[in-house]
Amino acid sequence: MMAQGTRPTQATDHELMAAVARGDVASMSGIYEHRNRALFRFFYRLTGRQAPAEDLTHEVFLRMIRYRHTYQAGDGFEAWMYRIARNAFADYVKKTRLEMPAAEGEMEAVESANPSQFESLAKQQDLATLHRALRRLPDEKRELILLSRFQGLSYEQIGRIVGCETGTAKVRVFRAMKEMGRIYGDLLQEKAS
Amino acid sequence: MMCGNAKEWMAAAWRGELDEAAEAQLKRHLAGCAECSAEMAELGALWERLGDLPAPEPSMAQHVRWQAALESLARTEPTGHSTAWGSNAWKFSLNALWPRRPVWQASIAASCLIAGLLIGAAWQHEKRDEGQMAALRSEVETTRELAALSLLRQQSATERLRGVDYSQRMPTLEPRVAAALIEAVNHDSNVNVRLAAIDALVRAADDADVRHSLAESLTRQDSPMVQAALIDYLVDSRDAAAAPTLREFSSRADLNEAVKQHAVIAARRLTEYR
Repeated sequence: MMAQGTRPTQATDHELMAAVARGDVASMSGIYEHRNRALFRFFYRLTGRQAPAEDLTHEVFLRMIRYRHTYQAGDGFEAWMYRIARNAFADYVKKTRLEMPAAEGEMEAVESANPSQFESLAKQQDLATLHRALRRLPDEKRELILLSRFQGLSYEQIGRIVGCETGTAKVRVFRAMKEMGRIYGDLLQEKAS
Repeated sequence: MMCGNAKEWMAAAWRGELDEAAEAQLKRHLAGCAECSAEMAELGALWERLGDLPAPEPSMAQHVRWQAALESLARTEPTGHSTAWGSNAWKFSLNALWPRRPVWQASIAASCLIAGLLIGAAWQHEKRDEGQMAALRSEVETTRELAALSLLRQQSATERLRGVDYSQRMPTLEPRVAAALIEAVNHDSNVNVRLAAIDALVRAADDADVRHSLAESLTRQDSPMVQAALIDYLVDSRDAAAAPTLREFSSRADLNEAVKQHAVIAARRLTEYR
């Protein structure tokens, strides 16, 4: 399974980041080309809004440049990048805690690149419900589902990102899916009643 | 296999991380456990359906900002890594404390030199990074302005609304952006964009030129909602100079009755602020 926005040439990004760490900051533009869309989608699905998602994506690339000296090959580029992304999101949440969050089901309209996915109104409504269920999850559980389902990361990588064993990462993703399933079921019942 | 292990394996199966032997073992467990089997069916289907959620795309503005930021960084990035510690560091005298024995003299000198090099390198490094990041963040604000201006010119109303949103996240409302927002209030075909632009201009309410422009804009508007929003803007900014404009506006024959009353009351309140 290959999730959206990911690519199999991790070694290339590692090489580019190693070059950035040596002072060749221009190499970051290659990493940006490879990763900006995936990062944007990660943040969009976390925040539910276009503008903060773009700001956070931008912030991650700035932080990767700033903390380039901390980059170590052993950990893997993706794990390192998503650790930075999670920290950037945590800072964003702290900063905006008092602001009104995106209301459930009120995520900004997404213009899909594949309109045929939305052939029927019923399917659109079902996807909207699924989206709401994902939005209702606590941030840390939503992060786990996003990393495993959408960002295409292995459980081993997720374990390194969130700081737990691979087996624990699997169990946590299972639990997050279970909770989302329960929320999704509740939402369907609400609609039906 | 216990049910607890099965959960771990189910998650692995969703991602295709199970080898054949493990998959067969999981299947055997599911065949004999109704609860796990139901969970696998339900959550597995949910996992698959998540793939149908649309994939959002970043706007062109993000690319513009990034390019500008990277160019800015390239300008501020020094070539090479300077860790040199100048010989001037040793200008002060330690005569009073200086030991007589050459072995102590050498030890102290070496220790000081190493400490100096380490501190100096760290300080230079930190200072250079801070300078670069400050320049970069400043550039980001500039590019945010460019992004706002670019988005406000887009054909799609959604993009123009994003442009207004960008302008609101700028630390200060730059004159060029304020002018673009006034232009949007005056001429945008979409009422929501006009209303959002009026809200975004609240930060410029201290600027008499902005208030004057919006007072003039009032007479051009055909939407009662926009008219009411502009009247509120002028009242909230306590712009007494707008009172005559409001009085004249309230006498228009084609005006919505509620807006007319709103304008009359607003003109009266602004007169009181004189």
